[in-house]
Amino acid sequence: MTNPFEDPDGTFLVLVNDEGQYSLWPSFAEVPAGWTVAKTADTRQACLDYVEANWTDMRPKSLVEAMEGRA
Amino acid sequence: MTQPKRSQLEDILPLSPLQQGLFFHALHDADSDVYTAQGVLDLEGPLEAATLRRAAATLLRRHANLRTGFRQRKEGSPVQVVHREVTLPWQEVDLSGLPAAQAEAEAVRLADAERAHRWDMARPPLLRFLLARLGPDRHRLIFTNHHILLDGWSTPILQTELFALYVAGGNDTGLPRVTPYKNYLAWVARQDRAAAEAAWRDALAGLEEPTLVAPQAAGGDPAVPQRVRVRLETDLTAALTERARAHGTTLSTVLQLAWGLLLGRLTGRTDVVFGVAVSGRPPELPGVEQMIGLFINTIPVRVRLRPADTVADALRALQREQADLMPHHHLGLADIQRLSGLGGLFDTMTVLENYPFDPDSEGADLGGLRVRGTGGHDASHYPLALAAVPGERLSLRLDHRPDVFTAEAAKRLMRRLRRVLSAIAHEPDLPLARIDVLDDDERERLLVGWQGPAVPRPDGPWSITERFAHHVRTAPDAVALRELTAGGPARSITYAELDERANRLAHRLIGLGVRPETPVAMLVERSAHVVVATLAILKAGGVYAPIHHSYPPDRMAWAVEETGAPVLLLDTVTARHPFEHSAQAVVVDDDPETAALPATDPGVVNHPDQTAYVLFTSGSTGLPKGVAVRHRDVVDLALDTSMRDGAHDRILCHSPHAFDASTYELWVALLAGGTVVIAPPGEVDAAALERIVAAEDVTGLFITTTLFNLVAEERPAAFAGLKEVLTGGEAGSPAAMRKVLAACPGTRVGNVYGPTEATTYTTVLSMREVLAGGEQAALLGRPIDNMRVYVLDAGLRPVPPGVTGEAYVAGAGLGRGYLNRRALTAERYVADPFGAPGDRMYRTGDLMRWRPDGMLEYVDRADFQVKIRGFRIELGEIEAVLARHPDVANVAVIAREDRPGDKRLVGYVVPVAGREPDPAELRRHVGAALPDYMVPAAVLLLGTLPTNPNGKLDRGALPAPDFGVLSAGRDPDGPEEEVLCGLFAEVLGLERVGADVGFFDLGGDSIAVMRLVTRARQAGLEMTPREVFAHQSVEALVRARGRDGQDAPSLEVLLPIRATGSRPPLFFVHPAGGLAWPYFQFQRHLGPEQPIYGLQARAFTSGELPESVNAMAADYLERIREVQPHGPYHLAGWSLGGLVAYEIACRLQAAGEDVGLLVLIDSYHGQDLDAAKREVLPELLEAAGIDAGMNADGAPDLDHIMRVIKERGDAFATLDEDGLTNLYRNYENGLRCAEEYRPGRFRGDVVFFTATRGRPAGAPTARGNWQPVTEGQIEDYPVDAEHHLLMEPAPVAEIGAVLAARLDKLHSS
Repeated sequence: MTNPFEDPDGTFLVLVNDEGQYSLWPSFAEVPAGWTVAKTADTRQACLDYVEANWTDMRPKSLVEAMEGRA
Repeated sequence: MTQPKRSQLEDILPLSPLQQGLFFHALHDADSDVYTAQGVLDLEGPLEAATLRRAAATLLRRHANLRTGFRQRKEGSPVQVVHREVTLPWQEVDLSGLPAAQAEAEAVRLADAERAHRWDMARPPLLRFLLARLGPDRHRLIFTNHHILLDGWSTPILQTELFALYVAGGNDTGLPRVTPYKNYLAWVARQDRAAAEAAWRDALAGLEEPTLVAPQAAGGDPAVPQRVRVRLETDLTAALTERARAHGTTLSTVLQLAWGLLLGRLTGRTDVVFGVAVSGRPPELPGVEQMIGLFINTIPVRVRLRPADTVADALRALQREQADLMPHHHLGLADIQRLSGLGGLFDTMTVLENYPFDPDSEGADLGGLRVRGTGGHDASHYPLALAAVPGERLSLRLDHRPDVFTAEAAKRLMRRLRRVLSAIAHEPDLPLARIDVLDDDERERLLVGWQGPAVPRPDGPWSITERFAHHVRTAPDAVALRELTAGGPARSITYAELDERANRLAHRLIGLGVRPETPVAMLVERSAHVVVATLAILKAGGVYAPIHHSYPPDRMAWAVEETGAPVLLLDTVTARHPFEHSAQAVVVDDDPETAALPATDPGVVNHPDQTAYVLFTSGSTGLPKGVAVRHRDVVDLALDTSMRDGAHDRILCHSPHAFDASTYELWVALLAGGTVVIAPPGEVDAAALERIVAAEDVTGLFITTTLFNLVAEERPAAFAGLKEVLTGGEAGSPAAMRKVLAACPGTRVGNVYGPTEATTYTTVLSMREVLAGGEQAALLGRPIDNMRVYVLDAGLRPVPPGVTGEAYVAGAGLGRGYLNRRALTAERYVADPFGAPGDRMYRTGDLMRWRPDGMLEYVDRADFQVKIRGFRIELGEIEAVLARHPDVANVAVIAREDRPGDKRLVGYVVPVAGREPDPAELRRHVGAALPDYMVPAAVLLLGTLPTNPNGKLDRGALPAPDFGVLSAGRDPDGPEEEVLCGLFAEVLGLERVGADVGFFDLGGDSIAVMRLVTRARQAGLEMTPREVFAHQSVEALVRARGRDGQDAPSLEVLLPIRATGSRPPLFFVHPAGGLAWPYFQFQRHLGPEQPIYGLQARAFTSGELPESVNAMAADYLERIREVQPHGPYHLAGWSLGGLVAYEIACRLQAAGEDVGLLVLIDSYHGQDLDAAKREVLPELLEAAGIDAGMNADGAPDLDHIMRVIKERGDAFATLDEDGLTNLYRNYENGLRCAEEYRPGRFRGDVVFFTATRGRPAGAPTARGNWQPVTEGQIEDYPVDAEHHLLMEPAPVAEIGAVLAARLDKLHSS
């Protein structure tokens, strides 16, 4: 069984949640609640490149706000 | 003249491929019952038995293929021989005299007996009739035939004809002419067999494995199949028919897609095969519809279930593939399976029963006779067979073997099939992944019922630091830590003390720039300092990042760099092994600045979502990855119900800090007001474990599977004082668990599972009750509080219970991700479709299944990650390192378990053309880059890597390493050697082990050492792991044991390292400290024929110190000549030892003796060593890798030194205080002697080894120093090490290789 996230020929999306966390996502599957499509269907590598380029702060948004609010 | 007798033979014909297959089996299978078919007809009404018999005879006369026998020609090819006449095998039995039930039973018995009839293939007819009279006007006709004659499609044709003939009184003049079977054979002969083979080979190309729903059911006596039937609703039937029509395909293809999908869900695969019965009647053959004979074939249908394909896509693809194969249905299944290279491809099949006759004709009136089929047997016994009968309401029949699928399971399957059919019928655009096969109640159980209970967490602080602070406030005097030291007394540290110490260090860290979320790397030996430092980092707001102790220096450097830590915390022990890094190093147990800082809390408030720590795990791309875990995750684990039942209030800390068990060991106790009992540094063996558990009232501990199994074997009662022992890391052994449970009646054994990414533990299962129920597997149980484990298929759907899928972990404890690895985080921590909106789940790569009772069972890894001794290892990482070696062209690394419970890494290397790298060198190459647990136990050179028919690496075909070849060597001598050789072999799983071969060269590791020690103890030989590490070979061990019954290596002047062998010995002279022990290691590198002796300072035995190098040489020379009266002499020495060896060599030459080999290991004469002023002891100890530790007044702290030496667990630990003092005196005196030594002339070559690291500017060179006094060549070999580290294993290996070559050369003539 090829894991759907490992399929080199698959078509993927990049999803993002309210905390600004990114997820690779196979395009055939329904987009789970609480996630929006950040990048529409593309190759696996293109999606991973997108994540590398766009996920600048790996801290969840609420934490960033809390830490900055506190500082 | 008599007419030649008319031949009995009417015709001789070839066999069709299908007949050939059956004939082959008939000849070769002992039990050919499977190829016997039987039809049973109940005949009600008045019957003329004689007329029926005549009709049957006519039948045989009409159809040549009912009169056919089968034989092999002399040259082996099979033929079918049509006989002109055969006798009708007709039997009549009258059972009407018996009571009805008895008659029925007897009729059944008769049918069984007919089926058991053995056919002689050469003697036709291969069919039999039996007519049983059951009563007045009640008969049963039992028609039995070999399957090679007829197929299921033919039977109704034959029956129809039989009764037509009966009605006609046996006269066939009114019947249509028979189309003979030979027409079909002629058609077959015209087919292109090669093309058919090519088509099937293509169709099955790339198929990785057979699709078996019941692999365990193969062989054995198949149970009689049972049957579940449904009739679909009219509208669903119509919708399916319409779906087929809309896509230009048939109902048969639609059914095949549905069955393929269902099969995929049942097996967890995306590429499935099953059998389909095809009529095999070529439409272009005239009259084929009414022919009888063997045409039917079962062909494999392959369905590829790409999750993203829509129903329409999949139907189109299947239709296309089936159409392409249609002309090739004539090839027999056996041939097709052979082409696949996989053997039996399937164990399920489907058939669409569109027989070419009117099903309503059954029960027709034949002159008052009603015929009713009551059953019969056909030739297939697959665990699952689906038959569909078309009609206004499609009728589905599932034959299932009840030993594989219960009636309940079969009904559930039927429900799943109906769901699949409904989706196919109504939703052509649905991706296959979204077709659901689960019942609602199943889904609820899988996603909710069997998950971790939703336990509301109390309010309150969710950071580690605040939780800890709470306990400092409420119980400052409670004991937080018990620090155990080897030999010394245990110390208690209260919460208040721990807090104060951590506060000071936290202030120090803040002073060095540590802020919230700043990583701080740490490399600290197990001690209270680890806890202080870990807590201090968190108190400063930072993230602790422990570096694994067994990392080679380069990898340590990489890891510190990767964290970006500005600060590295060390202790005085770890600081002795420097590696490159740009961080500010703080030695936590020796940092005066910290001591001066305030003991008050620095007041940094941590948010629960801040990262608390980063742990490195193996990464498949060749570099480790750092798993980032939050404060919240740790607190959550500490508060879990499973941790708060009293068993985990006093926890033993003995795992490496960089291992995720440390989360449990440190925080589960400390965040609940409990106590952490800290074991001394180094490995803790079973005896120590038992002692500590008892002495310290430990209540809980975690131990890796490997160690658990070892303790279970050695001292199962070691855990008896515990309330619970947690074990995990690999698939556990129920046998070992049973042993421990029996020996520790008051202790629970908890089997734990969890990836580091989900904070140490995801599932915990108490095994006592489970195993008492007879369970044979170490189940994982269910997730702990607020955690979930989803077992999903390739379409991200939950798989039904019993089906293997990949585990995803969600809920509490899911950490932040991988440090600095955004893409990797996004592909492993992915959106959770089953949790709260926005949740993530972690993709573990572990294959699991749910048991029907809701217990998770571990199956395997989905990828090439393995666990060895509890360490998570990506094989790709090792392969990447091996591939970097210049001689390596291709590589594969696998974990082999050739003996149960003994998992070892083995590397397979295809060398670059023309190169033949030394496997030992390849292992060293890996060892230089990766921790020891990642170094393969063996590396094998192969010409090519084996591949399977699809061109992929065939891991199963990789040969097992033959450690036996390596284990040659001399036979044991004496009873003790014999016993030990036997034990070595047993522990290492070898046939035999030579007495002079090193334990570790044969694949031994630290676990094997413990096993060896246990076995030896049982055999009455007391030894310690330390001794095995020190001496390695049987002979060395025995010799070491022989010395006055002491464990310690000898202090005698002449130290026999290997006293046997045919060559002249090699004598090694001690360095300044006076001990020759480091030379023990050369045994491994010089062959068994090479005797080796060490020379050691006299001070150890007599207390005398020599005046000079000359005095030493004179003294040692006497001892040497006792062993070897005449030359050639081989002499070597490290440092001061080189000078002494040189002097001995000169003296031997002066006495007219021959010196064969003179080896100086980084030795120089005439150096100003500043002997009078040097701090001798610390320097000496440093050379031995020992931290000297000065008292506050600058004097050596002997107590401390002794303790450190003891903890090292090597040979030095056997020195007592006198020994240590003598070491010191020797060294001081040796330096002076070296300074004063003035060498004479030596006539011969010198082999020299230069330590190239850490050379001071202006240091002498070999030639500059020695050429002036030597008449021969000076061969200078550079060794990449510092002078004082030359006797570490790696440099010794290099030196040993040179010496071995030199000695071989000297003695080859």
